Amino acid sequence: MGAFYKIIISDYKQRTRSYAFLVTLAISLYAAYSFVPAPNAAYTTVRIGNYLGVQNAAWIGYVTAMMTSVFLSWIGFYLVSSGIKKDIDTGVGAIVATTPISNFNYLLAKTWSNFLVLLSIIACVFLMSITLFFLRSGAYPFQVTQFILPYLLVTIPSVFFTAALAVVAEVFLHRYTILMNIVYFFFFCALLSWQITVPSSFDVIGNKTVTTAMQQAVFQQYHEHGQMVSMGFIFGAKTHFHYFVFNGIQWTWQIIISRIIFVCFGFLLVFTSSTFFHRFEIEQKSKEKKKTKSAEIIPAAKPLRDIKLSALPPITPAYGILPFIRTELLMLVRKGPRWLWLINLGGMVALSLAPLTEAHQLVLPVLWFLQVGRWSDLATKEKTNRVHYFTYASYKPLSRLLFSQIIAGILMALALASPLLVRYMIGLQFLPILGIIMGGMFIVFFAVALGILSGGKKLFEILFFLFTYANVERVPFLDYYGGMNRGVNYTLLITGLIGFLACLSFMLRKIEISRV
Amino acid sequence: MKLVIQDISKRYRKDKYGLKDYSLTIENGILGLLGPNGAGKSTLMKIVATISQPTQGSIELDGHNILNEPDYIRRILGYLPQDFGVYANLNAYEFLEYIAAMKGVGGPGLRKRVEALLEGVNLTESAKMPIGTYSGGMKQRIGIAQALLNDPKVLIFDEPTVGLDPEERMRFRNLISDLAQNSIIILSSHIVSDIETIADEVAIMQSGTLVTKGTQADVVKQVEGKVFETVLESSRLTDFKAKHLVVNTSRQKEQVWVRYISDGPAEGSALSPATLEDAYLFLTHKNN
Repeated sequence: MGAFYKIIISDYKQRTRSYAFLVTLAISLYAAYSFVPAPNAAYTTVRIGNYLGVQNAAWIGYVTAMMTSVFLSWIGFYLVSSGIKKDIDTGVGAIVATTPISNFNYLLAKTWSNFLVLLSIIACVFLMSITLFFLRSGAYPFQVTQFILPYLLVTIPSVFFTAALAVVAEVFLHRYTILMNIVYFFFFCALLSWQITVPSSFDVIGNKTVTTAMQQAVFQQYHEHGQMVSMGFIFGAKTHFHYFVFNGIQWTWQIIISRIIFVCFGFLLVFTSSTFFHRFEIEQKSKEKKKTKSAEIIPAAKPLRDIKLSALPPITPAYGILPFIRTELLMLVRKGPRWLWLINLGGMVALSLAPLTEAHQLVLPVLWFLQVGRWSDLATKEKTNRVHYFTYASYKPLSRLLFSQIIAGILMALALASPLLVRYMIGLQFLPILGIIMGGMFIVFFAVALGILSGGKKLFEILFFLFTYANVERVPFLDYYGGMNRGVNYTLLITGLIGFLACLSFMLRKIEISRV
Repeated sequence: MKLVIQDISKRYRKDKYGLKDYSLTIENGILGLLGPNGAGKSTLMKIVATISQPTQGSIELDGHNILNEPDYIRRILGYLPQDFGVYANLNAYEFLEYIAAMKGVGGPGLRKRVEALLEGVNLTESAKMPIGTYSGGMKQRIGIAQALLNDPKVLIFDEPTVGLDPEERMRFRNLISDLAQNSIIILSSHIVSDIETIADEVAIMQSGTLVTKGTQADVVKQVEGKVFETVLESSRLTDFKAKHLVVNTSRQKEQVWVRYISDGPAEGSALSPATLEDAYLFLTHKNN
């Protein structure tokens, strides 16, 4: 038991000492602060029809607990869903595989470690919610149970379930992280939709019990029945809202047991997945396969010969960036499976033949999203491949190499969009052309900036997916390529964003180069 | 050429130094860096290679402060890091041409130079295979080839012989002896014999500081008259180790041959000629 505990704690320590954890913690605290809007704020987070709760202990405790439950059930998954992958990447997995630890115990340790990471965030948000109470609710008495109970019975079970689900997802989809992230997004959306139709006991996120109690409170105080529950950051004037008093809920044994069942279900999922856990054998197999291939094809290495440097052909100084751009393009093209290029070609044909609006609004963002794996490590691959020792010690690495990587990324974006650009050119429509060029530049700069900032590709992959999904759903706010928005203001906004991302990327890389 | 390292420190935390007040002057020739793990050898090399910034101090190459003008050294630098990687989906030609572009090397002669280097490191036959399929030793050779791409005048080799077999190590030593005619070469290795056979000067480092620097003869002189050999019964070895700095042992049935360093000989011991390894162990042990 002591050893098991040490595995969990060591894993927890190495994960909480990451930059990504600190960023998520900071975002979580900011989000927690915004979960309870100030009286003069122009948005609401939880409301029942046209009714808002007065900001007493119960309202602040339950609202922050519910929002945290939703927030961490979604973002928390992305934060913790790389525990096993890290063991694979670092080679620690190979050592783990040779130890007596059982698959179940290993996965369970990962689950607990995931949970502890998320629990740390919950603890900070919990303290923030109490602080908010004292900032916002001077007239109401402080009742600590109104904070403890919702966090204990709403947030913690759902977050534990998320922690377990992250482990299970890694067991089955560890090789397809982008797919895993996308699948989870839709799964999470399904959970939210499901919440509306199922009884409280079947709601994983655990909010339905609370929102039902809130609806009942509105009914008791205003005799309004069936008011719709709205959750999220909803902007609009609050002048027409009425206020009701929410005093928390009576936690029955039935509700408590239903929450515990989700925790047990999490354990069960982990237990079941342990039967299918690769125990790092898949990775080893793939490495063996590669080595076998190399051993078969490459002739036995012969020893070094005597090299006379003076006898080598003379060199010519060449400080241009074209060779960089060429090689970066080569690497972009070769990255990922070859069959993806068939889909890309299909996408380009669709850009040529589909109605212009659909081609621009739907086909283009999806086609660009398919390149997520190519762009996501555009400026981080040096570090992940440990080539940065060469690149950072090269001549003018900022103005030559980083610039070339960005150019290569943009060229690829524009090459993929070329059928659409040609169609607009033929129609002499220059604003959409400008929108596409700016869009291509934006997404590449976005990838580079987020890559350098986060030190990995996950953040960009998730945000790029959300951007694409929002654009396919025609949310104008996240249109970065002129699919819905055209005009001078939009162009200026995107130009400003590109400028900001460019400055950020070059500044961060400059710092990074001096801090190897 | 002259590289002057003046009072360089690299501080990580308040009391944690990677390098502390380190000063060294290097002229054409080979400087071998010796030191235990964590001595600061790689930190020093990274600072000279301009990929890490010191907390204080200055480094001048022929009068140019390379901390302010990193591109001055980058154009003439060949650097082989200890733990480098490659782009797995490029082949050897593509990778070396990519590195050549980084170093600002091009022109019509580049392809021939790449071919000649690949021939030199004996990778011509596999040069068109993705580097991801190479063995560790083959990757190390790619690393050696890239360091020589730009006719370097300053060469930094951090543990270059890792992954090379004995014959390759011998050839590598020949190679850098040839290069040392017109260049500054800084070489670190855990294998003292690699340094012993080629370094013009040796610098021994420990805990981020310079313990000693000089020609091999100067360094070895510090331990001369202190190295002895004797034969003991096996059961006495533990007690013997507690009293003397034992640098080597060899078991022979019930007895054990012992080479040790001491101010005076133990009974039945014979004086032995000192080596660089003896000096290294003596100086780092003394510093502890």
